[in-house]
Amino acid sequence: MNAVGFAWRSLVRQPARSTLAVLGVAAVGALLFDMLLLSHGLIVSMRDLLERRGYDVRVTSTTALPRSGPLVSEATATVHALAELPDVQGTLAIRFADALFRDATGDPIGATFEGITGNAQRPWSLLRGREPQDVTDVIVSESAARVLGVDVGSTVPLLVQCRDADEALPPLPVHVTGIAELTFELSDEITLAGSLGTLQQVCGGSDQDRADVILVVSSGDPARAAAAIRAARPDLEAATNEQMLGRIQDGGFTYFRQISTVLTTVTVAFSALLITVLLTVSVNQRLGAIAALRALGFSRDRMVADVLSESALIVGLGGVLSLPLGWALAIGLDEILRRMPGIPARLHFFVYQTDALFLHIGLLAATAVLAALYPMRIVARLPIAATLRAEVID
Amino acid sequence: MRVRWSLLLTVLLVAQAPAHADPPAEILVSRQLAEAEHLQPGMVVRLGTSVDGSDAREFRIAGIYEPTPDPQRLGQVPRELRMHLPDLLQFTHPQDTLTGAEAVEGINVRLKNPADARAFSKAVQAAMPGVLAVPATESMPPGPFRVLERFHLAIAIVTIAAATVFLLALTIMLVDERRETVGVLRLIGLPVRRILTQILLEGLVVASGGALFGLVLALFSQGLINRFFQWRYDTALVFVHISPEVAATCVWIAVPLGASATVCASWALLRRSGLRLVRR
Repeated sequence: MNAVGFAWRSLVRQPARSTLAVLGVAAVGALLFDMLLLSHGLIVSMRDLLERRGYDVRVTSTTALPRSGPLVSEATATVHALAELPDVQGTLAIRFADALFRDATGDPIGATFEGITGNAQRPWSLLRGREPQDVTDVIVSESAARVLGVDVGSTVPLLVQCRDADEALPPLPVHVTGIAELTFELSDEITLAGSLGTLQQVCGGSDQDRADVILVVSSGDPARAAAAIRAARPDLEAATNEQMLGRIQDGGFTYFRQISTVLTTVTVAFSALLITVLLTVSVNQRLGAIAALRALGFSRDRMVADVLSESALIVGLGGVLSLPLGWALAIGLDEILRRMPGIPARLHFFVYQTDALFLHIGLLAATAVLAALYPMRIVARLPIAATLRAEVID
Repeated sequence: MRVRWSLLLTVLLVAQAPAHADPPAEILVSRQLAEAEHLQPGMVVRLGTSVDGSDAREFRIAGIYEPTPDPQRLGQVPRELRMHLPDLLQFTHPQDTLTGAEAVEGINVRLKNPADARAFSKAVQAAMPGVLAVPATESMPPGPFRVLERFHLAIAIVTIAAATVFLLALTIMLVDERRETVGVLRLIGLPVRRILTQILLEGLVVASGGALFGLVLALFSQGLINRFFQWRYDTALVFVHISPEVAATCVWIAVPLGASATVCASWALLRRSGLRLVRR
């Protein structure tokens, strides 16, 4: 019988402790798997979000992230000028404005209005209804439709915060022509969208020709398009998706990477320590049996291999169980974190990555070896005659 | 009143104040900006909005302040300063706006009777359409703190579950190791209840010792974790705080859990006869 078979029988002989050890590894392994998914999940999800709809360059007035910095002035002219560049296929300017509605009791409901202009694909997917065609047409997100109690065909009084916030303008009645999934909607907001002209109209014709960000679809090489935009408009900042990810990575999301690193380290150390204790106690209880096997002719290496195999089996079985357990846990944890205010509604914290799976397997393998080191040392240095004599005297 | 300083500070130069000039207006500088630009209280700096500094004015640094930690801005080093609103408006006043009609992002109001907040906000909104007036207690949405709290609680539950399973496995092994001792105690006449009480007391002592050790470790690591993250994000935000309530919760979970695991693991053993336990 080889070492793995022998280790398997050793585990089966004591089913309660073996099952508990495997379950313990499964629970710790699930947490480890989740922390590895969390480590880069945000960035993977953010990349997916940035690359959705083909926008591969973002133009802003400063290096601040869109919606947190100054606006790009003369948005319409800028959008047209950038669209003329040879490396640019399409452009779209977006302005995010605060909108205000009232519920049945007159209490205020805060919302966001996305005003767009340009020839690139619109930043939403229509779920039902039709696209807005007139300045009094808007589409709303499902959350907005739910909160405002509107649907396709409804009319809502749109009131937004214009540039001169002290202006007390009457609301503009706008028609809801469609319900859509908006790419840039945040988790805690309700959104309406239409043309930049709608914003101009609702602000009584005052100058609203400004944008938070201009989205650019390059002709194929985003870096070249960004360079061309920077050369044409040195007063603007053009960043490719990779550069935007770099800015985001340097920003607030690093907290989750740090916490994931800390918890990964703690989890690996915790599981290695506990498996070491389990194996050590198990080996100490079987010292007599091990000495007898050595006396019967089993080599030292073979006995050491038995202990290593036992560790590998516990960690291996626990590791296999940890994957579905970890995935289920990741769904629950993701649901919790996605309730965080101010993040894109379609952003996920836990995203499957093959690299994370391989790292998980590697870390568990390292844990199995690390945990087996001390009990292997005990077995390797076991004095056969003295142990047998002590067993007989006992 | 909250204003966006990021728009303003494109020029920041340390200057010498001319002896005959009016005393410059005072500003407060955030610790992070002061450290980055080597600024100190009493210094006179020139601030402006244009790149060439043509519209720059002199200000005297009245003090350095630690910005209120904001978890929503974690990772963004707050290089900012505070000045009186009239000074700020001299820079940001739009040409097409009458003096006194400039826009601000918000106005904080302190009422004589805080209980009137809701009625006051309704009255303001009725009188000034387009203005959003919300009581301070309702103005903040459930913040990231609450979400993070739930996230950490979920992780703590998984960790406790894993630790419980390991604990059970360990206690089963340890109890099994004492099988013969327990068998002898049964054979010399000690009742099961007496042995179980002894095991429970042992479990309580070990679990209490473990919980205390865990608390000491947590208190030690609390400082390390806070120092690391405060250094990493250049913030005064406290990331880990072992409050008496948290410590009590830990002890309240760990001690009964440890003692219960010991008793549960011993129970199966104690149901066997003394002779079987000593393998005779």
